[in-house]
Amino acid sequence: MSFKRRLLMLLVFTLAVALTGVNGVAQGQAVKNPDTLIIQSFGDPESLDPSWAYDTASSGTFLWNVYETLIFFVGGRTDLYEPMLATEVPSVANGGISADGKTYTFKIRPGVKFHDGNVMTPEDVRYSLMRFMLVDRDGGPSWILLAAILGFDTQSTRDDNGKLLPDIWDRVNQAIQVKGNTVVITLKDPYAPFLNIMASWSMVVSKKFVVKNGGWDGAKTMVAKYNNPEKPDAQELFDKDAGTGPFKLDSWDRGTGNITLSRFTDYWRAPAKLSRIVIQKVEEFGPRRLALQNGDADIIDVSRADQPAVTGISGVRIVDDLAQLTNSPALFMNLNISAEGNPDVGSGKLDGNGVPPNFFSDIHVRRAFAYLFDRQAFIDQALRGKGRLANGPIPYGMLGYNPRGKWYEVSKDKAVAEFKEAWGGQVWNNGFKFSVLYNSGNVARQTGSQMLKETTESLNPKFKIDTRGVTWSSYLGLMNQKKLPMFFVGWAADYADPDNFTVPFMHSTGTYPGRQSYKNPEADRLIEQAGKETDAKKREALYFRVQEIAYQDVPTIYIVYPTAFVAMRAWVKGWYHNPIFFQTWNYAYRLSKGQ
Amino acid sequence: MVSVIRLTLSRSTSPQVLRVAGAALIVLVAVMAAAPVVRGRVVQHPLDVAAFLLLVVAVGVFWSLPGDFTRRMKRNPLSIAGFSIIVLFVMVAALAPVLAAPPATSRDPYLIPHAGFLPDPQPPRPGHPLGTTGYQYDLYYGVVWGTRTAFRVATVVVVISVAAGLLLGSLSGFYGGRLDEVIMRITDIFLAFPSLVLAVVITAVLGKGLDKVMLSIAIVGWPVYARLLRGEILSVKQRDYVEAARAAGAGDLRIILQHVVPNTIYPFLVYAAFDTGVIVLVAAALSFLGLGAEVGYADWGQLINMSRSWILGVPGDPFIYWYTVVFPGLVIFLFVLGWNLLGDAFRDILDPRLRGSA
Amino acid sequence: MATYIARRLLLLPLVAFGVTLLIFALLQFLTPAERAALFVTDPRQLSSIPAIIRKYGLDQPIHVQYWVWLKQLLHGDLGWSQTARMPTSQALATFFPATLELTFYMFIPIIIIGVWLGTRAAVHKDQIVDHFSRIFAISLRGLPSFVWGLIVLMVFYGGLNWFPPGRLSLEADLFVKSPEFHRFTRIMTVDALLNGQPWIFVDALRHIAGPAMTLVLVEMALLVRVTRSSMLEVLRQDYVRTARAKGLAEPVVINRHARKNALIPVVTLSSLLFVGLLGGVVLAETIFNYPGIGKWGAEAAVQLDIPGVTGFGMFIALITVFGNLAADILYATIDPRIRLQ
Repeated sequence: MSFKRRLLMLLVFTLAVALTGVNGVAQGQAVKNPDTLIIQSFGDPESLDPSWAYDTASSGTFLWNVYETLIFFVGGRTDLYEPMLATEVPSVANGGISADGKTYTFKIRPGVKFHDGNVMTPEDVRYSLMRFMLVDRDGGPSWILLAAILGFDTQSTRDDNGKLLPDIWDRVNQAIQVKGNTVVITLKDPYAPFLNIMASWSMVVSKKFVVKNGGWDGAKTMVAKYNNPEKPDAQELFDKDAGTGPFKLDSWDRGTGNITLSRFTDYWRAPAKLSRIVIQKVEEFGPRRLALQNGDADIIDVSRADQPAVTGISGVRIVDDLAQLTNSPALFMNLNISAEGNPDVGSGKLDGNGVPPNFFSDIHVRRAFAYLFDRQAFIDQALRGKGRLANGPIPYGMLGYNPRGKWYEVSKDKAVAEFKEAWGGQVWNNGFKFSVLYNSGNVARQTGSQMLKETTESLNPKFKIDTRGVTWSSYLGLMNQKKLPMFFVGWAADYADPDNFTVPFMHSTGTYPGRQSYKNPEADRLIEQAGKETDAKKREALYFRVQEIAYQDVPTIYIVYPTAFVAMRAWVKGWYHNPIFFQTWNYAYRLSKGQ
Repeated sequence: MVSVIRLTLSRSTSPQVLRVAGAALIVLVAVMAAAPVVRGRVVQHPLDVAAFLLLVVAVGVFWSLPGDFTRRMKRNPLSIAGFSIIVLFVMVAALAPVLAAPPATSRDPYLIPHAGFLPDPQPPRPGHPLGTTGYQYDLYYGVVWGTRTAFRVATVVVVISVAAGLLLGSLSGFYGGRLDEVIMRITDIFLAFPSLVLAVVITAVLGKGLDKVMLSIAIVGWPVYARLLRGEILSVKQRDYVEAARAAGAGDLRIILQHVVPNTIYPFLVYAAFDTGVIVLVAAALSFLGLGAEVGYADWGQLINMSRSWILGVPGDPFIYWYTVVFPGLVIFLFVLGWNLLGDAFRDILDPRLRGSA
Repeated sequence: MATYIARRLLLLPLVAFGVTLLIFALLQFLTPAERAALFVTDPRQLSSIPAIIRKYGLDQPIHVQYWVWLKQLLHGDLGWSQTARMPTSQALATFFPATLELTFYMFIPIIIIGVWLGTRAAVHKDQIVDHFSRIFAISLRGLPSFVWGLIVLMVFYGGLNWFPPGRLSLEADLFVKSPEFHRFTRIMTVDALLNGQPWIFVDALRHIAGPAMTLVLVEMALLVRVTRSSMLEVLRQDYVRTARAKGLAEPVVINRHARKNALIPVVTLSSLLFVGLLGGVVLAETIFNYPGIGKWGAEAAVQLDIPGVTGFGMFIALITVFGNLAADILYATIDPRIRLQ
């Protein structure tokens, strides 16, 4: 089945579930705050500046509500676009995309007003893209456009010593040009997911507003001053808004973490139905649930573990089985563990009280664990059964996902056989001891760690695994230092393309292989080639081969593509789901409240 | 205190010791004969059972001894209550492996066994007399072994605090002058923190874990002991017998050990009793905030934390998971209550000025 | 007196210095890479860790790092608090008024009810009131405050909807943010009255009641006991017997003569109480989502927001020193027998 067909099925399924999920509309309980949507989430944004924010809370707040992009997704599709701030979606057929796949021309919509009153021009669009790319703060999202436009090798505006590349402004400036009422973007190499990236990351800001508030004026000479800001509040748009979206930012009260958005009456199409959106930060689940029950909140953040506590409340609607573009968690094995000062490797030798740094470099060890870990049991116990078994880095529903891709079935016998062959039989005879870490608070990963411990220890009394929870920053720090022998972590899509998954999971320069000391030049080659290929069929074939390598090398045990659910009051209307949405309430333009 | 020990060893009471010991052994044999399960466990953990028996004997002897201390304790019903509660807890701690046997494959008995991974807590039922927490950790096991954890934490913290307090307090009190000033300012710095705040700060930096919790609570707790000791030293320093001892050539250390320290035992004891309760409360609070023991570790505060998402129940039945809070909460409460009562009792008995005013 | 105060005030910079030293020392247990990871929130950002180490000089020798940090501190820059999304100094200024307000509304009931109950118990020694107060005081000291707080949340918000979490309801919050509302003191109840909006006053009190109720009972226990024992002590004194012999009515004896003197140890205790409340708000505010300094401190600790934790620790230390000093001065003023040396 072609992936497009599969996506369609995904969409239909999601819609069907969404529509039939209408239940428990309590007649007799009047709608509270009928024109204000109240959301309670457990975190608040880091920054509302589109060039800084790279966390779900921030993007979820401003994307498509406060700021808009050139094109947008049609309904629940992640591969079909409609015009937003552009008047037409570029394609080869209408000339918007050149034949060689490197030049994209966007016709900019006239008469669009910013929240500050100015009218949007193509220069604003160009400026916004350049600003996004040149701000490039440490750990930020700028690499997405940098790599897409300037080529895979350009992931940063700075060199390895932290100095700004002297020609970076020139390259960016040349790549993005204004021609009449269009903006023309010229890529270094053809890049199939480019439109997808544009749909999520081409947020347009008002140049005049930014400049008026002390921001970058677009000049080459000033780039160094605004590049890599020290702190988020140094930026002009940290807590102010310069967007075109249906809502404008009223306030962000960092004392309480509450954000208030209000309807923008001069919006370029019909104004939003809601007059106000209030996003409250409530870290404890208990009060969130009570607020939902009382009607004081319309949508709340709920984790899978807490789902029963919001099920069966009158007036509350649960929509489950929401498709996501997420591969989380996966179980990573470190092929070259840094043993210095590392309590998690025990003695550091294969003597039954530890593991040597290269323990996982033996394919038999990795296969043994792949046969051993019962992934379906994990999905059933930790995720309440809500998720699909994974067989590779690319999630279900995306181009490159191979429904017939081979993976290891759970088999204790095969696991034992592999263990017996590992390291010439030493593993089985001497045993081993190491720790599996998880980030504390993440119950699913904690459960996974314990399941792994129990099944492994049941095979052979000489096998010992300890589990340990550490704070998220420590977890990331240890991961970065390659000290974690085995760890659970996941990935959620930046944009809906297999490139965004294969690179971090399988490319030697990607986020995870770097920390696993895993490198396969063949995989690298295939991934780079698939990134530049524009023909969908050819890409699919390449990605199928990448999945085969993932299966054969198995540095990582893929577990699940989890689905999500949302809990909201039944009086919320107009809600729909798109797997690329960062938040369940991401696109609030069509939302309203009523019986 | 010393007199109690001397009394025990004296000839007039040794028949009593034998009598109590004999009674305890007979009971043990009877229980072992009656329940084969118990027999198995007893055989597996002989040391713990021996410790338990020793305790029984000690308590029995202590209680039946004539003496000023015990007489006064027996007069006050509240102190009897406190003493009984603590003795009960000590016995549970000693008998932990027998009361709640760790699974055969378990390498660390402090890790609570769990049957499956179902997220929602399950109510009390056969096999799990107190129910299970979120993710199916057995509450009974956690409560029993948690008693050992509580004593361990309290003991370690009190020992560290007393040691540091003794050292710094005696230096401060005996040598006075500049050293005294400096040490007093340092204690001021530490006393400037509510203990929970400082513990939170320290565990945040050091990372979570029971040993870090013990360290941070000890860091917060030592100044009071130092001050107590210093005060005692200052009052003793002027006494005549110290002058006399000095004149006779006794070294400073000897004077401290012989005269000062014995007098401070009583206020230390009183304070340590109250402190134990506070220590356990702070440790539980830290576990609740996510800064304490590992998930699945037998610690009372952690038991409550493991069911945190379920404490408020489900829509329509807020009390459905009452057992996840009530049982550990009750145990914490009783433990602290016992120590408070015991502290009161010590204070009443040992400090005549405060008698009758509790 | 003045020299005494001066000497105690000299303590403040010492305390602040001591805290920074303590935290800095503890931080050295982490390697530079681990400390850099504190700035990172997502695996995508891992590749920028070397850049972060470079930016913050995390691999410099210890004394260099400490000197840099101290210099920053002396300029008033306490660093950026990741959990508060604002500079630490601004976070302190934002969160402290809420906690101050909460503490005030806890202090009053604790003192009033505690003293009253303790006095009643002493006067009617060994009667029902006395036994009740003793059981009350003894048992409450053992109650874990966070457990009690969860029960209060469940019953008084979940069940009765009397005491909601947060600081203000939605309507009140929107009104307070609008230009019609003038923030004079940042203390919500006071500002509400100054603005002539009594409904906001009530709303703010409702939200304070939850966390307040969590701590009031537990902290009251000690006060009741101390008042009782102090009162008993005083009632035994000669001058009380004399007053009784003179034929004065019992209430007069108690209120005019005994109570004043009995309150002396209560004053000392109030500083202990204050310290206890500051520690307790960490739990109470977390449970009720009350945006005060305790909730922020707990969050910063769990998320390893080091500038936040440092700022929080230092601030609490300073407040406590002030509080203790105030109590000591009050004590000295009340009791002429005390000579401060």
